[in-house]
Amino acid sequence: MTSAVAATATAARQGPRLRGLTWTVLRVHRPALLVWCAYVLLMTGWMFWVQYVSGARVRAEMAACRRVEGGCIDVMTFSHSMNEGWIGTLIAYASYGIAAWAGASLIGRELERGTAQLAWAQSISPTRWLTAKLAVPAVALTVGTTVLVLVYRWFWTASQDLRGSEWHDPDPFLNRGPAVLAYALCALAVGALAGIALRRSLPALAVAFGLILWFHLYVDRHWHELWPARTLSGTGGSWFPSQHPASHFWPLHLMTTSVILTVAVVATGAAYWLLRRRTR
Amino acid sequence: MTDTAIETAALGKRFGWRQGGWALRDCTLRLPVGRVCAVVGPNGAGKSTLLAHAAGLLAPTEGGISVLGTTPSAARERMAYVAQDKPLYPQLTVAETLRMGAELNPRRWDAAVAGRIVEEGGLDLGSKIRSLSGGQRTRVALALALGKRPELLLLDEPMADLDPLARHQLMGTLLADSADHGTTVVMSSHVVAELEGSCDHLFLLGGGRVRLAGPLDALIAAHTLVTGPTGDLAPHTVVESRTTGRQITALIRPEGRIAAGWRTAEPTLEELVLAHLRAPGAPALTLTDEGDAHDEGDGGTNSGNNDGETNGTRTRGASV
Repeated sequence: MTSAVAATATAARQGPRLRGLTWTVLRVHRPALLVWCAYVLLMTGWMFWVQYVSGARVRAEMAACRRVEGGCIDVMTFSHSMNEGWIGTLIAYASYGIAAWAGASLIGRELERGTAQLAWAQSISPTRWLTAKLAVPAVALTVGTTVLVLVYRWFWTASQDLRGSEWHDPDPFLNRGPAVLAYALCALAVGALAGIALRRSLPALAVAFGLILWFHLYVDRHWHELWPARTLSGTGGSWFPSQHPASHFWPLHLMTTSVILTVAVVATGAAYWLLRRRTR
Repeated sequence: MTDTAIETAALGKRFGWRQGGWALRDCTLRLPVGRVCAVVGPNGAGKSTLLAHAAGLLAPTEGGISVLGTTPSAARERMAYVAQDKPLYPQLTVAETLRMGAELNPRRWDAAVAGRIVEEGGLDLGSKIRSLSGGQRTRVALALALGKRPELLLLDEPMADLDPLARHQLMGTLLADSADHGTTVVMSSHVVAELEGSCDHLFLLGGGRVRLAGPLDALIAAHTLVTGPTGDLAPHTVVESRTTGRQITALIRPEGRIAAGWRTAEPTLEELVLAHLRAPGAPALTLTDEGDAHDEGDGGTNSGNNDGETNGTRTRGASV
């Protein structure tokens, strides 16, 4: 024991360090944080690899093809758009995993096992507990997703010559701005709400996953209605079937983001309300 | 400073929406500070529900509860609670669990107290909670609770997984600590023998209701075990009686003198508890401390709270 006390005391003298509830949340959910960091690094590395390693090979091949009479079968471009598609999908759909984790591991299991009540039996009120449980992952999600969005924007523009997707395709549409971050935060809030409502990890996992899946599909189908479409009279270029010019990307994207954030705020409010009603 | 550790007024809790799902009903109790109180009752009596309300983990369906003169949530910092299944994070080590106690109780944590309890069990600080036995986990959970230096310690079935030696030793630590610091201890159990000799106050719950409440010696003094030939025991209140041949043995609450011809004895705690558990229809009895500021009468108040049969008709019975 004395060694642990001494270790704690020395750590305290080494300037600022994590304390209190923040330390507890980070320590308890350390594996999840490591997985998140690995995911961000992997996706970032994959985009750099596609652009600089495999993309360079494809470009060399394309240049060689152009010199051949009659051209050649374009296999490498296909592999590029496969990579590009997977990257876009894995970033755009990360919120499914976040919702499942938040429902099951962050909140549901804690209430099921009684470790949430253990925290509340210390000097921590349920409201403060939920605040830390939401704030710490929210910071990690914001930092990680911001990195991914910035790298993805660069990647999407840099691979313009090879890419197969348009601005209005579902994944690039989400991934090139704050909408994908809004989804991550919304998934966190929906997961927390499911965890508090159901108080068991497995049902919370299923319900949170199902809710965010349904919401994602619903928004996918309706986001183009969030900004008035222009009647078709343009001069060509990239046109969305329902007559959105490429210049509508930001208005549409920001409207979509605000819809997702509204749902996130409502879910967060409901989670606090339910927790306060259950405990006193 | 208040002299009341826990006070409940018609506290009731229903889980779910079922009509009969009351875990606790009409619970009116008062526990003065500095007591070591046993909460006794069969499984499903409402013991855990009562303790969880006191710990501020549940919101009552009806009625109210105050702890240390304030609401349970305002008293959170001044009390400790150990739940029945001793929840701890399995992925943390013993040392990390104690650090969590320090981090989550920044103004109260006493690392020496918590460390001593863990040390007495010979626990390795580096071992993960998941590798510990049930009894060792109980020890860590108690270390976390006592390290907080609580004014009120709420323990739900604290000794259930401990071997007799560890039970005796931890109970000793607990009682010595409580005596040194004037800590109020509330301990639930369905093993009455576990509590005999260590408690001075008793709450007996049954079917979600209070059956007996008050200082232990006053409760025992209010009852008499009588044995004699079959006959009328009026005007005394009969809690339970058993006839064997022409002999009758009964636990009564004497009203005036007991007629000659009855052999009388003072019941033990176990006899008192068992008689009430075997006779669910017996009227409830709540005694308050003599000379207590909140005393409502001359030494004792009997409150009739006669629960009807199990068919759900609830009648507040006449006073005893």
